[in-house]
Amino acid sequence: MSNQPIVKLVDVNKSYGNVYALEDINLDFYPGEIVSLVGDNGAGKSTLTKIISGTEAPDTNGKIMVDNQVVNNWSSAKARARGIETVYQNRALSEQQSIYDNVFLGREITNRFGIINRKKEIEETESLMRKIGYTSKVWTPLSSVNKLSGGERQGVAISRAILFDSRLVILDEPTTAMALTEAAEVLEFVRNLKKSGKSVIFISHNPWDAHAVADRFVILERGKIVFDGPKGSMSADDFIALLHKFAKKDIKS
Amino acid sequence: MSKVKKGYVIPERFRPVLGAFMFFVLMMVIFIAAAPEVFLTVGIYTAIFLSLPLFAIMGLSLVFVTAAGEIDLAFPSIIPLAGLAFAWTLQQTNFNFALAALFCIAVGLACGLLNGYLVTKLGLSSLITTLGMNFALIGLTNVLNNGEVRTFSELNDSAVRSILVGSFGPIPAQMFWLAGIALVLGMLFHRHKFGLHVRVAGDNPEAGRAMGVNIERTKILCFVLVGVCAAIVGILGIYLNSTYFSTMGEGYLLPTLAAVFVGGTPVTGGKGTIGGLVIGAATVVFIQTGVVATGLDGYWTSLGFGVVIVLSLLGHRKFSGRLTR
Repeated sequence: MSNQPIVKLVDVNKSYGNVYALEDINLDFYPGEIVSLVGDNGAGKSTLTKIISGTEAPDTNGKIMVDNQVVNNWSSAKARARGIETVYQNRALSEQQSIYDNVFLGREITNRFGIINRKKEIEETESLMRKIGYTSKVWTPLSSVNKLSGGERQGVAISRAILFDSRLVILDEPTTAMALTEAAEVLEFVRNLKKSGKSVIFISHNPWDAHAVADRFVILERGKIVFDGPKGSMSADDFIALLHKFAKKDIKS
Repeated sequence: MSKVKKGYVIPERFRPVLGAFMFFVLMMVIFIAAAPEVFLTVGIYTAIFLSLPLFAIMGLSLVFVTAAGEIDLAFPSIIPLAGLAFAWTLQQTNFNFALAALFCIAVGLACGLLNGYLVTKLGLSSLITTLGMNFALIGLTNVLNNGEVRTFSELNDSAVRSILVGSFGPIPAQMFWLAGIALVLGMLFHRHKFGLHVRVAGDNPEAGRAMGVNIERTKILCFVLVGVCAAIVGILGIYLNSTYFSTMGEGYLLPTLAAVFVGGTPVTGGKGTIGGLVIGAATVVFIQTGVVATGLDGYWTSLGFGVVIVLSLLGHRKFSGRLTR
């Protein structure tokens, strides 16, 4: 893990009216690591990712730094230009279009008249599907997305992130409501994402999934970071016990 | 995960157009069997090819709107309004075709822009908005035209007329215009990134927005395309009859929409087929002639029409899975 963080959040706050969704968040994301971001509903996970991906602005006192430079007027377009890609849970794909159309959506390879270079897009999609560990022999890049399983769909969405030279990929609940084998498939995609040199923020409700892929855990409770540390030798059971500890504290208070 | 199917499977993207084609062939076989003396002569085809391009050009633009998840019911009134702009300019400028065509297309374009703006920027339902616009625009046409029928016998021998609606042997020139426009719009819809964005707009606009596609602009351009095609149909219609009358858009609404759906473009958006539309338009136009030619009373036309539409939708569903639902 190299020394300079890709994204650094310094004293980031976000309030809606007089409710704090995030309070004094200080967090670094380094190259080549998978960070599992966990916490209960309303803990601030999605607000935090929206701030990193530029779809929501933090309150004015905090700072977002990319490559150790403070960024101003952070936006989703800027985030993408700086290599931060977000894969959303439901809104990622156009179901009736082909896999390759989805992969290249918004960044089509075209000639100067705007006609899509299908051959090239299909070839690149094929190699991409191999790279990410797409094992299915049934689907080709021409298959439409509505034929795919939930896990395979995530694979398509994730492979876009690889294609467009992103450095930090934010995955918002990629295994929610998935069967075990499907979720396992997605976790494999995530590991391959890391192998291809990307950093990942993995947001999940599922402690087992979060534990399985993580290099580091960040636990959010009520808008605050209550734990930020490496996985090290922590077992899944230890991790779940840790989660329970914070959850119980929360209930008592 | 299902097993790999053995043997040749028709690629999914060709199924709607193939389905529409098989249905068309079936219908023609029935017509030919029922009235060979009519359907085995060239004359009937020449007659049909006079009007087919007008329906088909209109329908081509509707494939875009439908695939984008919207609907446009205003075009039957854009035709006479843009046509009026054309006829009026011809009269004012002593038959300056270029100027008249330019003004006509500008009017069509403006109508499309207005529809697109109302639907996307103000978030109104396209069904109701364009229904309202259909009334408003024909009303405006009538107010401006004041019941006048504008006859242009001067057009009869003009060079422009023979280029637009003259004939090459038994084939009316407008068939070639249709072929050209269908080719361009087919490339635009199936091969150009704009076409992809149109389909995404009708399927999952959020996915498009997340990837930086301007969904609103895409939809507005679809409505603009309808306006421009309506203007073209207006010009062709005026040249075909050498006359302008403000009712020239009547009779387009239902057959054109039927052509879109019979052609295999699902009403639910996200998909569409340009080739299918051309076949669908042919199906629709042939029914009108065919029912009468087979010796049935003209009253049977609508019944035949309805039966064909419903049957073709059933056929598409059988053939293309859930596509047409």
